Amino acid sequence: MKVLIADDEAVSLRMLEKTLERAGYEVTAVSDGRKAAEALCDPDGPRLALLDWVMPPLDGPAVCRTVRRKRSQRHVYLVLLTSKSSKEDIIEGLESGADDYLIKPFDPGELKARLRTGLRILELEDNLLEAREDMRYKATHDSLTALLNRGTILELLAGELNRKRRDKSSISIVLGDLDHFKQVNDTHGHVVGDEVLREVARRLLGSVRSYDLVGRYGGEEFLVVLNNCGADTVMDRAEEIRKAIGGSSVRTSQGSIPITMSLGVFASLPTDDRSLEEILCEVDGALYAAKSAGRNCIIQAAPAEGTLPQSHCAGRTRSKSGTKTDAIK
Amino acid sequence: MNSEHKALERYVDMTELLARVDNDRELLVELLTLFQEDFPRLRDALHAAVDAGNPNQAEKAAHTLKGMLANLSIKHAVQLAASVELAVRAGDAQEIQKAMAGFDREETGLLAAVESYIASRNP
Repeated sequence: MKVLIADDEAVSLRMLEKTLERAGYEVTAVSDGRKAAEALCDPDGPRLALLDWVMPPLDGPAVCRTVRRKRSQRHVYLVLLTSKSSKEDIIEGLESGADDYLIKPFDPGELKARLRTGLRILELEDNLLEAREDMRYKATHDSLTALLNRGTILELLAGELNRKRRDKSSISIVLGDLDHFKQVNDTHGHVVGDEVLREVARRLLGSVRSYDLVGRYGGEEFLVVLNNCGADTVMDRAEEIRKAIGGSSVRTSQGSIPITMSLGVFASLPTDDRSLEEILCEVDGALYAAKSAGRNCIIQAAPAEGTLPQSHCAGRTRSKSGTKTDAIK
Repeated sequence: MNSEHKALERYVDMTELLARVDNDRELLVELLTLFQEDFPRLRDALHAAVDAGNPNQAEKAAHTLKGMLANLSIKHAVQLAASVELAVRAGDAQEIQKAMAGFDREETGLLAAVESYIASRNP
């Protein structure tokens, strides 16, 4: 464990350094408060510190205040070392953000015991942060596929739509549904069905860019948000996804299973101010149309300004008339 | 126990100090050497601040000296440094001079004892 000690007085600094090295700490020794504050505000810096009270140019309480103000991610356990022992001094030290204090001359046993207290607190914090991160992940991700769950991808999509309106950029939404997935479950069982869903998730993630979003929308439905992707490229991107999913059979514990995906696509233009609900309705309609058109194909909803809506079935792309688009809706 | 050790014991609580350094006599000599080097600088800073009528600097210097002496278990000198610190804080010029004089008297014998002890350990 790293520990920082700060003291402008050489004898005390060396004595502390040696005592803590013997106790197994990795010691950083500095002789002024500013260097101490810099090291402790570094996110990778020590999280345990012994600070002399009277030091130039920043004294111990000032270092505590600086650290508390600047470093908020992880707690740094700060112990003030002082020969001040009045109640007012102690209160001032603790109010500055110190967790504990030790009166000089220090007793080595007491010093080590107090640092162990600090370590226990830091360990407790680490465990809590880990548990919080674990809970956050579970609350935002689908447990089977590890993709974003429905609530999270919709929340993120709403944020992206707002950003798109501000930046006057484009965004496209793809809603995909595995074809005849019920048959996979019915024929091979749900365990194999789960294997297929996990592989689909992997293929989806592999077919998009790092800044796109992929979520599990429902049972075998997946929502993909393609950032900075407009009407001119969305069909190509959707086709890449369709091919990535259906390009080869999924190898499962029960053998290889061929799968395909139908996709509904919606390209939101910079000027488009439709709500999230309206967009979902559009893309859902397009997916429904893709299913009706024979599956394993892509239908684009909502005509882009100056372009015709398109459908793309098993490698064949064709423009659809405006009337047809209305029908898709 | 040699005479240098006994001489140092007049100023330093050796039992307490040795316990603090985990009976590491090599470290003890290293610390006393650091003390020998650093003490005059701090003492001069204290004198300069008192002479310049700078109570803040004087109090800080006395406080730092007190901490250094305390860690080395130089107990009587700790009390003297504390007296200087209190007198400076109180702003009592007469008391400051009295406390400083006491501190200076102690210093001469203390530094000589430290020097002899270090020399006996580094023949």
